[in-house]
Amino acid sequence: MLNCFQQAHHDMLPRPTHDEASRQEFAKSLKGFIQSGLLPGLAPVYQTRAARGFEREEGRPPADRRDIRKAMVGDPYFKLYASINRIAQELLWESTNLSVERELPELIERAKALSAASKAQLVIPEGFVPPRYVTALDIHCMPGGYASEVCEDDVSVGVLYDRGVFLYSMGYGGPHNDDMGRSVCNYIKRNRPDFAPRRILDMGCTVGHSTLPYKEYFPEAEVWGIDVGGPCIRYAHARAAALGHEVNFAQMNAEETSFPDGHFDLVVSHILLHETSGKAMPRIFKEAYRLLSPGGLMIHADLPPFDLMDPFTQFILDNETWYNNEPFWGAMRDMDQIALSEAAGFPKGEARFTTAPMAIMEFMGAGYDAEATESVADREFTAGEYAPGGGWEVLIAQKPVDLAAAA
Amino acid sequence: MTEATDRPHVIKDAKGKRPQFYEQPGIDQLMSMVMVLAGEVCMLRDRMDAQERVAKAHGIDLAAGIEALALDEAALQAREAYRQDFLDRLFYLARKEANEAKAEESDESYRATIADIAVN
Repeated sequence: MLNCFQQAHHDMLPRPTHDEASRQEFAKSLKGFIQSGLLPGLAPVYQTRAARGFEREEGRPPADRRDIRKAMVGDPYFKLYASINRIAQELLWESTNLSVERELPELIERAKALSAASKAQLVIPEGFVPPRYVTALDIHCMPGGYASEVCEDDVSVGVLYDRGVFLYSMGYGGPHNDDMGRSVCNYIKRNRPDFAPRRILDMGCTVGHSTLPYKEYFPEAEVWGIDVGGPCIRYAHARAAALGHEVNFAQMNAEETSFPDGHFDLVVSHILLHETSGKAMPRIFKEAYRLLSPGGLMIHADLPPFDLMDPFTQFILDNETWYNNEPFWGAMRDMDQIALSEAAGFPKGEARFTTAPMAIMEFMGAGYDAEATESVADREFTAGEYAPGGGWEVLIAQKPVDLAAAA
Repeated sequence: MTEATDRPHVIKDAKGKRPQFYEQPGIDQLMSMVMVLAGEVCMLRDRMDAQERVAKAHGIDLAAGIEALALDEAALQAREAYRQDFLDRLFYLARKEANEAKAEESDESYRATIADIAVN
């Protein structure tokens, strides 16, 4: 079954011309080909020549992902794979930017109008400085990163992210790119049917892909998305309005928010942690604990830690660190998130990893027929893919209902 | 629409040193150019496909017409002329190299010309 997944249109996305759309499709198809046509060749190349070469030189077989990298980095097949992967990443941003550049002033005006018509809050504080870990490099090679502004009221990197990440994930996140949020919501509904959060916080929400499902699944709740990127927050607020949701967005750092203690019953994040830093991550766990009401849940959804996979898979995933401007990608996967949770205040033995099954089966729309979505949900985890088959690994921890008893 | 000169421009390149995948300088650039061109080939193929589909929606079976098209002598001549012209342009460096050999041009003769022009 070929991947013909198409992003659902909404009023904050540009309308690409035929040629722009075709170039964007090419970038997505190229990524798909790399997965199915180039990636599988890495294993035999490693086993039949790279590992043997390493053993000849070092007198021992490669032991961990660092050894495997050393063995592979000079191999011509690996160079081809890595360079084409990098080029595919550059082409997806480049092709998306064609549409953003052409429509930017109109998109800014639409964002203003949509935000003005929404009852939900949009908070952009004066003089906010984004942390260095998002400005030192443009993460995943997205030109401008999350926080650059090229003009007043700019939303350009928000638009770029919305469309570009759909292409990056090859549509596996669904027509609204919201599978992670949707899957976590599904997980909560199935495992905690009585849980009725009054306020929900999505940390590092970017353009609100995963934030909006929370409003859909918990319509009575007050939902907030926060992010350090001003243009992303501005875009997220307008995008939510375009999709008919009243969700509040604020430019805020998840390490230190301005919400009061115990303000939220549910604090979540999706693919946030691997884009922070060694110092920020423990602070984010502490802030989540502080913000939770007694009995509240913290759920972080990101890709699995390295200790859950074999060294060769670790090596493939770690290529993002080296070739895709993801400085914390590898180091984050070595962090002990259970220990971080306990250090933040969660009781010993409370935090655990679990699987939130992918909600993609529920999607309908262009390219999302039953057979295609089943083949996504049923496939095995393949290193290098954005979305693992079956489900998302999530870290979950509950703040004690009776704080005094837990202390 | 705002005037073209007033319109803002998006950021086109990502901050962060790009890794060099191939030892020989220029190969990384060449690879990226090949892939951009491959993308344009695909885009043009999509556009031709779009033409056939649009024509079909208007009752013209362009695809079947293309398959059934018999090329007459003039068409064969025109296509062959195009292909030879295209190949000539594609291999312009080979043509240049052959001409250089014929004229016995070399790096030494080029440097000699620079030196000569500077004083004469």
